Amino acid sequence: MGIISRGIKNAFRNGIRTTSIIFILAVSVSMALVMLMAMKTVQQKIASVKSSIGNSITVAPAGVRGFEGGGTLLTDQNATDIKAMAHVTGVVETITDRMQTTQDTNLASPVTPGSFGNRQAQRTQSQYGESSSGRQSASGQAPANFTMPIQMIGTSDLNSLAALNASSFNITAGAKFDTSSSANVAMVGKDVATKNSLSTGSTFTAYGQTVTVSGIFDAGNTFANAMILMPLKTAQTLSSQTGQTNSIIVQTDSIDSVSSVQSAIKTKLGDAADVTSAQDTSNEAIAPLQNIKTISMYSLIGSLVAGAIIIFLTMLMIVRERRREIGVLKAIGSSNVGIVVMFMTESLVLTLISSIIGAIAGLIFSNPILNVLVTNSESASNSAMMNNPNHDHGAMIARFAQAGAGVQNAMRNLHAVVGWDLLLYGLAAAIAIAIIGSAVPSFFIAKIRPAEVMRAD
Amino acid sequence: MLKVKNLVKEFQSGDHKVKAVDNISFEIPRSEFSTIIGKSGSGKSTLLSLLGALDKPTSGSILVDGQEITKMGDSKLIGYRRDKIGFVFQNYNLIPNLSALDNVMVPLEFAHLSHAEQKKRAVHLLDQVGISGDKQKRKPSRLSGGEQQRVSIARALANKPKLILADEPTGNLDSATGQLIVNLLKNLAKTEDTTIIAVTHDEAIAHQAAITLHLKDGKLVK
Repeated sequence: MGIISRGIKNAFRNGIRTTSIIFILAVSVSMALVMLMAMKTVQQKIASVKSSIGNSITVAPAGVRGFEGGGTLLTDQNATDIKAMAHVTGVVETITDRMQTTQDTNLASPVTPGSFGNRQAQRTQSQYGESSSGRQSASGQAPANFTMPIQMIGTSDLNSLAALNASSFNITAGAKFDTSSSANVAMVGKDVATKNSLSTGSTFTAYGQTVTVSGIFDAGNTFANAMILMPLKTAQTLSSQTGQTNSIIVQTDSIDSVSSVQSAIKTKLGDAADVTSAQDTSNEAIAPLQNIKTISMYSLIGSLVAGAIIIFLTMLMIVRERRREIGVLKAIGSSNVGIVVMFMTESLVLTLISSIIGAIAGLIFSNPILNVLVTNSESASNSAMMNNPNHDHGAMIARFAQAGAGVQNAMRNLHAVVGWDLLLYGLAAAIAIAIIGSAVPSFFIAKIRPAEVMRAD
Repeated sequence: MLKVKNLVKEFQSGDHKVKAVDNISFEIPRSEFSTIIGKSGSGKSTLLSLLGALDKPTSGSILVDGQEITKMGDSKLIGYRRDKIGFVFQNYNLIPNLSALDNVMVPLEFAHLSHAEQKKRAVHLLDQVGISGDKQKRKPSRLSGGEQQRVSIARALANKPKLILADEPTGNLDSATGQLIVNLLKNLAKTEDTTIIAVTHDEAIAHQAAITLHLKDGKLVK
């Protein structure tokens, strides 16, 4: 029988102690493994969420959101300056206006006011003394013939869903217009077309000008289907907002450059603009995931430290218990190295068995544990978003919806990822801990003269 | 074979020093069964530890077959203990989770013999001390005290040592079994050509030896 086989045999010398140590170590190992998997999984999900949210930045005039607020609009020059910046791959400018159905256009809105619309009309009436439809009405009441205005968006790019507040964009009739044109052309939402019996080639009046319908679109939601689109220059000219824009959407070449481009725009435009990115919006939703990652990391470290302490104290106890035996082995010719190797073997056997059992337990219990973490974090995520006073519910509705849906789906689908590289690293760590944990006490004991060791009892 | 000259071992006890071995000198020839007798606290176990290189003396010399062991470095002492010395302890000190055969094979493993050679020699030694057949596969807990001591003696003989040091080899045995052990040691001294020094407090056993050294308060007395 050699040193190694004696060491292996020693690991099973005391059945109850061996079982207890293996159980405790296995719990520590399984905990470490679960936390490691949680960290890796969450890391992947955060990257996936960020990737799905995209790498766009929204630049809006400071103090303006949609049709609310006040201040000075941005300009075409701002857009040009931004386009020239490093890592910027595209810029979409839009100008919006609400066409009053009596004074700006002969189109009728397909949207019925409802309680919300009537309330807005009533408040406008109260503030300005005239209804949104342009007719006088009794103070404090929405006029009986009140109709909703029609939103008009002038855009430099018909492919940007975010710019159009659209969930999707399908041409149901006709064709897209040339966005660089300044001709009096427009595309109308399908609900507008239906309400006003428009088809491709039809004309309508806007701002006193005749505008031709080039196409009809389905934008995937009621709000967007009730609007009309025009080329940017056309919209600017007709609405008397020449050279102005109230939203610039910037696309960067990667997620990693979003932050730097955002800073560059803020520096260039200063107080004139509010600059936000889809990543900003996602950070609120991702925060709970980041929390899982942080908790997992500290738990992982704690589990590893606990495991190391367990094996160290166990071997210290075993070595001290076998002082006399060590003395006898030295008396009959064992070297110090032989004694250390024997205890290291015993420690390795205990650690390897615990690691295997712990790994199996970790794989079995990882999904339930992670699901609990996800459920709690999903609730926290929802609360975080709704209670944040700085959260913008205005002009970024479409992007917020996209970001929120992406995170929610990612969190629901969160599951443990098993990787062989993960297990190998863990095994290497366990072996290192076993060696150090046993080498230290046995080394010191082995250095003691046999007579002192044997005299100790 | 064994020459001890002016051997001293001091221990620190509180704020003063105690001489456990106080300037001892003696010689023991080869293949003799000798005893060292003394009461508890006379220094006999300390003397044995020094002779077996389990401890280092404060001063003096110990020559075993011409080799001065007090000047040896730790790594050479390991080889000395493995090849030249055998130990028999009062409480046997067998490794509890190894069989009798495996216990005897341990020092042979340190001498780097092949497994087959280890087993062959271990079986022969156990037969020699009267442990044969199934008893060789038993663990110490399933052997009597006398049988365990026989296994311990077989282990001590494993690497054909020049010197066997037995510390109270019959201390935990009844008188009949103890006598059997003493007889075994006396025979082995001759048959194995090894010098055996047994430490004891038992006068009856001590006087069975060819040479008896009397120890009192760390000194040799007549």
